[in-house]
Amino acid sequence: MITIVHIVNQFFAGLGGEEKAGLPVNVIEGAAGAARALEMKLGAEAGISCTIYVGDNYFHEHKDEAIAAILDAVRASGPQVLVAGPAFNSGRYGMTCVEACSAVAGEFAIPCVTAMHEENPGVDAYREIADPRLYCLPTTETTAGMNDAMTGLARIALRLARGEAIGSAAKEGYISRGIRGIEKTEQRGAARAVEMLLKKINHQSFTSELPLEVWDDAPPAPPLEHVKDRNIAVVTTSGVVPYGNPDKFKTYRNTYWRKYNVAELKELEPGKWEAVHGGYNVAYMNQNPHYGVPLDALRALEAEGAIGAGKLYPAYYVIPGNQGSPTVMRRMGQEIAADLKKDNVEGVLFVAT
Amino acid sequence: MISKELEKAGLPVALISAMFPVAQQVRANRIVKGVSIPHPCGDPSLPKELDARLRREIIQTALRALESEVTGPTVFSPPVAMGG
Repeated sequence: MITIVHIVNQFFAGLGGEEKAGLPVNVIEGAAGAARALEMKLGAEAGISCTIYVGDNYFHEHKDEAIAAILDAVRASGPQVLVAGPAFNSGRYGMTCVEACSAVAGEFAIPCVTAMHEENPGVDAYREIADPRLYCLPTTETTAGMNDAMTGLARIALRLARGEAIGSAAKEGYISRGIRGIEKTEQRGAARAVEMLLKKINHQSFTSELPLEVWDDAPPAPPLEHVKDRNIAVVTTSGVVPYGNPDKFKTYRNTYWRKYNVAELKELEPGKWEAVHGGYNVAYMNQNPHYGVPLDALRALEAEGAIGAGKLYPAYYVIPGNQGSPTVMRRMGQEIAADLKKDNVEGVLFVAT
Repeated sequence: MISKELEKAGLPVALISAMFPVAQQVRANRIVKGVSIPHPCGDPSLPKELDARLRREIIQTALRALESEVTGPTVFSPPVAMGG
């Protein structure tokens, strides 16, 4: 018989709401609370060996202890699959589900499945973790979709326990993690590309094999009147930093940004700067850092009055932009925006490589 | 991604990028055509002086973009011929 462990929060364990959110990790033998609904959906083939619950606050305030206790409980039970949630649009619960699943998948190399609403912040974490053993199914925003969520969780948990192959997110309906899979097709790549191109030219719909990340739409910021009287700053993802890379940027997946003072400089002298970036050939940038931070042109325009005296921000901002995860990039964007606004910058020249 | 957050905070951004189709696709609003991915602001195959002039044109175009009212992704081309 297939053994499954189910993780829920204090509310779905039936212990109480916000007033019980501080409850530590605990284990109930068999199915309890929401796990009973899952057990019914699993049928005769599988059983829930134990239900682990944890308070929404406890998990985040005592993460190391909570994860250690969850791992202990899973170890003792030895399930084939871990199920967590569904968390619907509850943010703390969603994060708990994803982080607990990720820890269990990493420790025991077993598949894990959770479910939540696509706007739950847990989904961002899930995409960032992008563990091929971890699946997240979409749910409704509220518990109105409980029945469907449990049906979906039970179905995929059983398939994972049986060792069945799970296809692409588009085919199977789980939330895409952005993992590229390899599959055999009838047609070679060139033929598929031409077919797609013809459809595009003829305004027919086609499905890309490499879908781009879905970006949220920001309405354009209003234009600047009299740009020469405005405070302007340069932000770049080119990775141009002082020679020696004093802040130890990596060539990929950086998680912080820096700004470097150029107030006293007329230009960036080759050899005193270097480009740290794993996504393009940095030879040109090293030869002439102005390709990423065009200080010479900015100073010339300042001298001509096209940029007002003292209007160019005294430092430029840099993040080597290679392979950044959307969540981290968004956070850094917000931090840079706050820093720029604090210093009354009004417009940005953004050099992207 | 980063430029979007700046725009959301109300700061107009002129995005200088050689990958302008991608910039359009990710819905950056003020896009300035850069020369190429490893050297967006200039062209190392040009003599030094022309390279510097090209860079100035690109920055001037970016400043013009900041002054322009746009309703969605708009590409601004520097008024110079750029190599492939």
